[in-house]
Amino acid sequence: MAAVAEQRPIRLVVRDTELRRSRLTVFFRLFLAIPLFVWVTLRGIAAFVVAFVLWLAVLIEGTTPQSLHDFVAGYLRYATQVGAYVFLAADPYPWFRCQADYPVDLEIDPPVRQSRWTGFFRLVLALPALLLASALGGGLTNGSSGQSWSASSGGGDEYAVWYAFSSGGVAAVAAFLAWFAIIARGTEPRGLRDLTAFALNYAAQAGGYLLLLTPVYPTSDPKRAEPYSDLPEHPVRIVVTDDLERPRLTVLFRLLLAIPHFVWLLLWSVAAFFAAVAAWFAALATGRVPLALHRFLAAYTRYGTHLFAYVYVVGRRFPGFIGRAGSYGVDLEIDPPERQNRWTVLFRFFLAIPALLLASALGGVALVVGVLGWWYALARGRMPEGLRNLGASCLRYSAQSYAYLFLLTARYPFAAPVLERRAEPEPDPSPLALPGDAF
Amino acid sequence: MLFPTAVPDDLSLPAVDVDRTFGAEFVDDARRYERFFYVDWILAQIALLGTLWLYARRGGAFTRESSAGPIGTGMLLGMLGLGIAWLVGIPFRVAAHWWSRSHDQTDLSYLDWIVQDWTILGAEFLSICLALLIVMGLARWLGERWWLPGAAVFVAIAALFNFVAPYLDFTTKPLDDKVLLADAARYEDELGLASIPIRVEEVSKDTDQANAYAFGLGPSRRVVFWDTMLEEPFSKDEQRVVLAHELAHHSQNHLPEGIGWFALFAVPGAWILMRATRPRGGMGSPQAVPLTLLVVVVFQLVTTPLANVISRRMEAEADWKALQVTRDPAALEQLMVGFSETGLGDPDPPAWAQLVLGTHPALADRVAMARAWSFRDSP
Repeated sequence: MAAVAEQRPIRLVVRDTELRRSRLTVFFRLFLAIPLFVWVTLRGIAAFVVAFVLWLAVLIEGTTPQSLHDFVAGYLRYATQVGAYVFLAADPYPWFRCQADYPVDLEIDPPVRQSRWTGFFRLVLALPALLLASALGGGLTNGSSGQSWSASSGGGDEYAVWYAFSSGGVAAVAAFLAWFAIIARGTEPRGLRDLTAFALNYAAQAGGYLLLLTPVYPTSDPKRAEPYSDLPEHPVRIVVTDDLERPRLTVLFRLLLAIPHFVWLLLWSVAAFFAAVAAWFAALATGRVPLALHRFLAAYTRYGTHLFAYVYVVGRRFPGFIGRAGSYGVDLEIDPPERQNRWTVLFRFFLAIPALLLASALGGVALVVGVLGWWYALARGRMPEGLRNLGASCLRYSAQSYAYLFLLTARYPFAAPVLERRAEPEPDPSPLALPGDAF
Repeated sequence: MLFPTAVPDDLSLPAVDVDRTFGAEFVDDARRYERFFYVDWILAQIALLGTLWLYARRGGAFTRESSAGPIGTGMLLGMLGLGIAWLVGIPFRVAAHWWSRSHDQTDLSYLDWIVQDWTILGAEFLSICLALLIVMGLARWLGERWWLPGAAVFVAIAALFNFVAPYLDFTTKPLDDKVLLADAARYEDELGLASIPIRVEEVSKDTDQANAYAFGLGPSRRVVFWDTMLEEPFSKDEQRVVLAHELAHHSQNHLPEGIGWFALFAVPGAWILMRATRPRGGMGSPQAVPLTLLVVVVFQLVTTPLANVISRRMEAEADWKALQVTRDPAALEQLMVGFSETGLGDPDPPAWAQLVLGTHPALADRVAMARAWSFRDSP
């Protein structure tokens, strides 16, 4: 059954529900994709030239010719299919033309009338969306695989690794982790595939907006782009009850207002480190984290979520300092301690590394959400719902990752950028057996 | 105990012809330069008071922007108050920076200045949070009796900060001028001081102005020269006077005395704060914080002239002791002329400006002291 995102002019269609992957082609995936990179680049050059003609057409006619629109749309679909192949969201080789029944594909509406003003300034208007698309790293549709927007740090090997990830953003990290999972098990974890699909969807929307296929601005709202995904049961859940109003004064000084919190977080982190070590020994000995330690670490994790929600403008109000449950508009619900397998407790730190890696990449997305949201809220006095929800879902993953690391739960974090469960969830196609399965 | 000075009570300062001493044309330039700052300062204070008055009336509404408890909410209101005051002060600070740049008094670019300004604001946010944590914590615990232990805590923090600050200083390096170091050893003997480290702070990238300062308590005592003070146009004799002046601050215990004076201001200040915030529920209530900011700023403004009198008295004493150990009034006089030239300082500012802004004696008065010492004590 194909899942299609809400009716927007550019929609991602995900037909691949089995998640099975050929280990052999996955093992050599990047090498196999080299001819595709060359071809998609050549097609991209042609598409950008045609997009310039589209731009002139919008300025003169207020609409775009069907044939040119189809040409650019064809490129966008093809680039999305190649992106899906490279990032392991799809298995069949996409060859050198659009596949009509490719497992991950785009639906693009015919041309509509566009405002000449927004057409004229399209490149400037698209910059925030391109910035976010780069952080998400949907890959090949926004012109440069996001490289020109990526942050970089450090030097030497550290730089090289970081650059490799940042040039593909979250999707690259997801693909990196999925590669190991597929080689081991022959299927891609659902959460990672859905995360990649979300990134591809957003990149396609941003690319389509930039290339004048649509006048509709891309939405980053996971609620609107997640029909192919659902949030499984998890002992750590995010609850968003906040409104979207943001007083400009508290937005302007947001980072500085958080300074006392950062100092407090630093102090609390030292205590949390020792508490986590104590919890680890206790869980190894008894198979369960003592309630007092669980409460302490849960409050710490919740406090971190409150604080970063505030810093990234995802939350409205100044958070409290004790991480009390229910005290903040972007809150965490954390279930009581549960029995845990001692083997997974023993290796918890190493098992958490992939999740922390992805949490770090999603932290980059949250940072971009914060920067874009800061400017928007400063100008309009409110936070766009899509950005707020994306930020909240990044925080949810980060909180689940740290909860896993701190032994608050034995359940692995779920990577798909989903905020809440649907009323009637679909059965999970890949029942959980190993921690890496959930992702 | 805090007010005695080594400057003789019967010392009468001779009149100084500033035009002749500093140069008539230069004095005109310096007066024009300083006048701009006076106007800027007055306007900034009016804007600040007006803003804080408004914030004291309406700032309580920001409590609904907090999910924190009373103290956390108080911190938010305190930081927002500072933030608003900072915003209102921007035009005046920009004007002052522009004026300094246009008179070659600073090389700091506008970008660096903005970064510095934000950094300072961040430090102020942290400071006010700490202060409110102490005051509100005590007020919620002790009720209206918080003011006495509150004042004591702030005095203790001031003393601790004075003691610890030199150990947290990683921006200076030891002075490597052997001649000055030998002079320092001699002056320390004469002033009855143990060896005090002399350090250099590099500021020449940002400014041409010259300065030096003494800080620290007991074993942490230091003297710091700006590197601009160790370059032209300042001669070795002038540098010696500066060195002796800063060492005199330590020998005359001016830093501990400063803490003592702070205690004398802090106790009534805390009491006034307690009384003033009573209608808003006292200092334990976040609703009182906006009013607190206004009261503190007004208290500071009102007490500034008195604080300046104390500061000028200490500086005069340090000058006098420097004259006694260097025996070089000509160097002190020349140093003041040099300060005036490098900092474009008005040698003889208006009395009101000296009252509210003068932490040091006017340059003309310092020249007069050098001449008075010559008449009185030179061989």
